[in-house]
Amino acid sequence: MRELWHRLRFLLHRGQFERDLDEEMRHHLALKAAEEGSPDAARRQFGNVVLLKEDSRAMWTWNFAEQFVQDIRYALRTMAVNRLFAAMAVLSLALGIGANTAIYSFMDAVMLRALPVSHPEELVVFKWTAKGRTTVVHSLHGSNSEDDSGNSTSPNYPFAAFVSLGARNDKLTTLFAYANAWGLNLTAGGQAEVAGGLYVSGGFFTGLGVPPAAGRLISAEDDRTGAAPVVVIAYPYWQTRFAGKADAIGKTMLVNNMPVTIVGVTAPGFFGVDPGSNPPVFIPLHAAPSLSRHPAEEERSDFFDKNFYWVEMMGRLRPGVSIEQAQAQMAARFHSFAAGTAANKQETANLPALRLEEGGSGIDSLRREYSKPLFVLMAMVGLILAIACANIANLLLARATARRHEIALRLSLGAGRWRIVRQLLTESLLLSVLGGLLGLLVAYWSIQSITWLIANGRDDFTLRAVLNLPVLGFTLALALLTGLVFGLVPAIQATKVDLTPALKETRASAPHGKLSRFGICVGASQFLVVGQVAVSLLLVVGAGLFVRTVSNLHSVQLGFNQENILIFSVNARQAGYKDAALASLYGNLLDRFRKIPGVRSGGLSDLPLVSYYWNGTGLRIPGTSLGAKELNTCLLTVDPSFLSTMQIPIILGRGIEERDLASPRVAVVNQVFADKFFANQSPVGRAIGIGDPKDAADIVIVGVVRAAHYNSVQEKETPPVAYVPYTQSVAGLNQVFFELRTSGDPLALAGSVRRIVGRTSPGVPITDVNTQSHQIDQTIGQQRTFASLCTCFAVLALLIACVGLYGTMAYAVARRTGEIGIRMALGAARRNIIWMVMREVVALAVVGVAIGLAVALETTRFLESFLFGTKPNDPLAISISLVILTCACMAAGYVPAWRASQTSPMSALRNE
Amino acid sequence: MEMGKRSEIPPGTLYMLILKSLARLGSMHGYGIAHHVQQISDDVLQVEEGSLYPALQRMLIKGWVVAEWKQSENNRRARYYRLTPGGRKQLAHEIREFERVMAAIVRVIQPA
Repeated sequence: MRELWHRLRFLLHRGQFERDLDEEMRHHLALKAAEEGSPDAARRQFGNVVLLKEDSRAMWTWNFAEQFVQDIRYALRTMAVNRLFAAMAVLSLALGIGANTAIYSFMDAVMLRALPVSHPEELVVFKWTAKGRTTVVHSLHGSNSEDDSGNSTSPNYPFAAFVSLGARNDKLTTLFAYANAWGLNLTAGGQAEVAGGLYVSGGFFTGLGVPPAAGRLISAEDDRTGAAPVVVIAYPYWQTRFAGKADAIGKTMLVNNMPVTIVGVTAPGFFGVDPGSNPPVFIPLHAAPSLSRHPAEEERSDFFDKNFYWVEMMGRLRPGVSIEQAQAQMAARFHSFAAGTAANKQETANLPALRLEEGGSGIDSLRREYSKPLFVLMAMVGLILAIACANIANLLLARATARRHEIALRLSLGAGRWRIVRQLLTESLLLSVLGGLLGLLVAYWSIQSITWLIANGRDDFTLRAVLNLPVLGFTLALALLTGLVFGLVPAIQATKVDLTPALKETRASAPHGKLSRFGICVGASQFLVVGQVAVSLLLVVGAGLFVRTVSNLHSVQLGFNQENILIFSVNARQAGYKDAALASLYGNLLDRFRKIPGVRSGGLSDLPLVSYYWNGTGLRIPGTSLGAKELNTCLLTVDPSFLSTMQIPIILGRGIEERDLASPRVAVVNQVFADKFFANQSPVGRAIGIGDPKDAADIVIVGVVRAAHYNSVQEKETPPVAYVPYTQSVAGLNQVFFELRTSGDPLALAGSVRRIVGRTSPGVPITDVNTQSHQIDQTIGQQRTFASLCTCFAVLALLIACVGLYGTMAYAVARRTGEIGIRMALGAARRNIIWMVMREVVALAVVGVAIGLAVALETTRFLESFLFGTKPNDPLAISISLVILTCACMAAGYVPAWRASQTSPMSALRNE
Repeated sequence: MEMGKRSEIPPGTLYMLILKSLARLGSMHGYGIAHHVQQISDDVLQVEEGSLYPALQRMLIKGWVVAEWKQSENNRRARYYRLTPGGRKQLAHEIREFERVMAAIVRVIQPA
């Protein structure tokens, strides 16, 4: 220990050491010269000064470094001899490490990275949980998730709760609120776009402790009723819209057609509190009512409504205060607040309970969306790395066996055992480090392609995975660990040689099988191959299931024709159009769109089909026996040609016609609606009420259409849907989606559409331009991503396992060349030799496949939630996987078998 | 310098000789050690003087001796080496080993 310390000190004081030694020797020589009378005689007596210095130095430095270089050179030479196998091993390790690094960088981005604010560990997020539906929450704008036991959790609170929790707070240094602003129409420099923003309370930026990049941030003075309207823009928006110029501060831009003053820019890299979002603008919370799409008065009452849950909150713990202490105080306060807002006993009985969670990595929208898929992917790439490592271990085992003779010779000449282990370890570490370096390239490339895969054409995609220091550290650790673990065992094994027999043996007589002491190694390599085959089968089965899922999703009968439809959204309401003017603008636009050459027909609807949109509402049917709970329907506001454009066939009565636009209210319902609410009777001619219960039930059903998917491809049952004319919209007309059926490529018409909107209504932006089929594709993006990734991984695993099998067999054949030669000399036919080798291949494959099958049957159920239309133990997927794997194994094993059969007995025997 | 025939020191005994010299003299520089060995052995033992230094370095690493720069008797700066407790123990060990080997050799070469 002390020795190590001395040596380390030497490293730091090297110059001092040289000077001391030099002076010391000169001193000695001077004294000697005085004694001998001549410097020459003194020098003769002393010896070679340079060499002695070198020796003194060598006492201090580790021989280690020098030997290390030797080892590396030796390792490179041996790798060069076994070029193919070394390349395969490094490559498979690189793929394994690269894939792991890529997935880990996503996990880092989603789960581990802290918010770019000061002291993120002090932040806490406010949530509440309640059993079932809490009635005190009259309406909620935000997110609400329900778990299996019926508990719902949400981060949204009424504004009044934020005010009451913030008052006289001795557990938190600061409390601030924020709320998402969806679909703001932003106009800066004459260019309009639709984007999300973030409403923030006055304490938001000071609470997070972030500085501005320019100007100032929103303060408490900005966030009160009647304050001058201001906005803080995000750094990227500043760069793209204002070219990062300082004179942007003080300029006016339009938010939902309302002029607001830009007062500052946030720091680069700041994205608010949700790593899954990237809002271009931050607006004071109190400006929310005046910016909303609904009439301002209504929204303002929502703003202060104690039963309207819409703001989210974050706080910062005082030093020394635990999250439990703060939660106890906050929960008690919120309880009394909520109790004061309950209207009746039922509401009082089930009040939401406040809960604090760590907020250092921001709110968890990304984690909710990606954590489960990422764990599945991490498991897959972990398996890939494991089989890649098995290859390395196999390679090293084989090499150690092949070098028994050499190692025995070195040991008998007096080489230290540790020295030999170290040399073998150097080789494995070299392999793994090379693999790691190459793996970084693979990782860089995979991060790009996985981002591209997951983003799936969405331009608001915010999952930012990068190769940062923790990720690089992870890769390095992974590479070294694999090298160490999978190199150490073969290395130690190799030095446990019984010297005399090892020195005597020739290649042909090298022991194999379970009889010899060394047999354990051969056994180990077979064990590794079996493991590789089993793991590959697992991944191939997984890939099979995902591929089945995607093909099932693609073959779902949607009930309408999704091909050749251009779809885009227009929101003229935000540009200032109202009611009748709005409806006539939309009608006018639709007429012009229909005249574009290449457009066969066109329609509009308030929501696109099959895009996870849902507009459900209560229903009244005079004379029905159904209870209020069951009387719910989905709505779609459409124009007369929507149904024919989407090719949803009418099966009873008629569709919506032009005359319905300005006449008594009508509706067309789907078959599910008819069956559910009118059982055996015809619904045509019946009157229903939709929406506000106070309105008369005066909507007459004029027709029934075949059921078409409404919300998603995956929906098991189509919900009841009522189609109503857009001029008679129940909730008021806002944004609409136009659907144009084209004769050619739909996207080719996007330019004409933009020109028409630009001419007819300047300042109205077009968003979400897409084809209907691509939009539907995007909704099954996760499944598709999984299918693609999993197929890649499965192919990779299969390749690696085949390399392993090939390598093991090739090595076994090489070792038995002599034996094969003798067999052939004694008259064995080539096919006998092939069979002799293939027998072993078949045995390995069968055992591997059997183990893999058993594991697959047990573990695929973890994938159930990702599957559609197929069971986790789908027999088709599993049997195809079995066939694929068996074929791959046979192919990998046949090459060495064939090579063995080509052995020339003469040359094999001459080699003895 | 007319003297009797000098002998190289037996291999492996250099450390012992250095340690013993230091034990006797207390603190000494390299030249002094070489000189001392030569004198005490009545000029029979000859240390190859240069080889003293790698040996001293090794003993520093092992912690058997410590070194410090001091003014020498002729008013020059010199590095003086001093025995540590660890060094004393090592000396005892080396002497024991040496005597054991010596005794064995003597037994072998004694006329039967």
